[in-house]
Amino acid sequence: MIEARGLTKRYRDRVAVDHLTFAVNEGEILGFLGPNGAGKTTTMKILTGSLPASEGSAKIAGYDVFEAPLEIKRRIGYLPEFPPLYPEMTVAAYLRFVATLKGVAARQMRSEVDRVAALTGISEVMGRVIQNLSKGFRQRVGVAQALLGSPPVLILDEPTEGLDPTQRADLRALIKSLAGKHTVILSTHILPEVTMTCEKVLIIHQGKLVAFDEIGNLASIYGPGAVLSLEEIFIKLTAA
Amino acid sequence: MRNVLAIARKELSIYFTTPWAYIVFTFMTGIASFFFVSLIQTFKQVQDMARAFGWARLPQDFSTYRNLTDGVVVQLWGVVMFVTLFLAPFLSMRLFAEEKKQKTFELMMTLPVRPMEIVLGKYLGGLGVICATLALTIVFPLAIALFGSGESGSAIEWSTVLLGYGGLLLWGAACMAVGMLVSSLTESQMLAACLTFAVLLPWMLLRNLAQSAEEPLRSVVSYLSFDAQLQNMIKGVLDLKTLVFFGSVILFCVVLTHRAVEARRWA
Repeated sequence: MIEARGLTKRYRDRVAVDHLTFAVNEGEILGFLGPNGAGKTTTMKILTGSLPASEGSAKIAGYDVFEAPLEIKRRIGYLPEFPPLYPEMTVAAYLRFVATLKGVAARQMRSEVDRVAALTGISEVMGRVIQNLSKGFRQRVGVAQALLGSPPVLILDEPTEGLDPTQRADLRALIKSLAGKHTVILSTHILPEVTMTCEKVLIIHQGKLVAFDEIGNLASIYGPGAVLSLEEIFIKLTAA
Repeated sequence: MRNVLAIARKELSIYFTTPWAYIVFTFMTGIASFFFVSLIQTFKQVQDMARAFGWARLPQDFSTYRNLTDGVVVQLWGVVMFVTLFLAPFLSMRLFAEEKKQKTFELMMTLPVRPMEIVLGKYLGGLGVICATLALTIVFPLAIALFGSGESGSAIEWSTVLLGYGGLLLWGAACMAVGMLVSSLTESQMLAACLTFAVLLPWMLLRNLAQSAEEPLRSVVSYLSFDAQLQNMIKGVLDLKTLVFFGSVILFCVVLTHRAVEARRWA
């Protein structure tokens, strides 16, 4: 479903993403891990078509990100690092706006907006102006806009950021329920969440891929029978 | 088309639920009212003088005050034109600059919307608000028509007034186009407003600045001046040249804005 081959992004003399190659199959949930500044957000931006790569190629659902960006954008829901909200709009107006641009038919607009609101737990604040919402609610509105139109691919950059433990649990349950029907890439610093929601994990460090495997198999890098927590593996791999 | 209208509607909803547009409306009505009243007073004075001494004895300039249309409304349109130049940058500054600052531009870039749809949608929204601003000034000729009376029946010549008003709308549209282009080049709204103003004012005054230049440069530069192009419209003469000129300016700005938006994709 998602294929990246030799993806590279250079900023003058700095390499943000260095020949990244990986593939995510349909219905999988991939955890994207790495220290701050490793290149996670940059990679996500390249996959969603908002940033061009210097080298390499990326394909989503068979469409090339550079050659058919419009087709890609029709098939993805993206939650950036900072939720892209218009503070002057109400939640309902904002979601309707995004739904229209995503191509949701006018007839289904209401039910679609209500659906994602129920999924993310924001039904009670639909009439509030976004700038008056707490961080947790704003984050959830951001997740809701990514879910509009039920896109086959979801790319979520730190989706549980700013949420309290209950909300985090709800969001984790939501993401788990998406497996199978949707392909999800989610990046986060909270390793226990990765263990709970993701099947596969990709660890990126200084732009390079240092691990890409199922969680259970990762520990075996350090010898057969090794039992290491994800945190220990992460620290070992990103020590340099 | 649906995307263009959705974006236009969103821009208008933000314009009308935040203070900026209303501040602009207040300034427009305030300044226009002030000049309207003072023009009426001058008109009255000149008419009184004419009645006492006769038109032939008055200086040439005063002949504009022979009727309400030329004496009051046309001059008012000149004032409104100048005020629009000052106010339009404040309306257009947020079109793109705000999106970039709030990081919502990324949303636009990852939704299945073409850059041209974004540009046209925002321009339409900006047009809507500048037309609303200018619509406030139609009150003045209406007031004259209702309460005044002239020799031939109606107090003012509507054809002249409306043509002048059309010129104002064109001018407002051109200001918004320039403002939108500048807004798409920066993240700071203040900078966008200042730069727009810095572009529009000299452009308007080009004719005056060109006075000291030599011929052919003087003609070319005067032709390009906004002021020169608008004079005829304001006086009530429909000139195709004017329509083509403003149409070209607007088209040019829209195309360049599209380029700027596209360029972000290849950053």
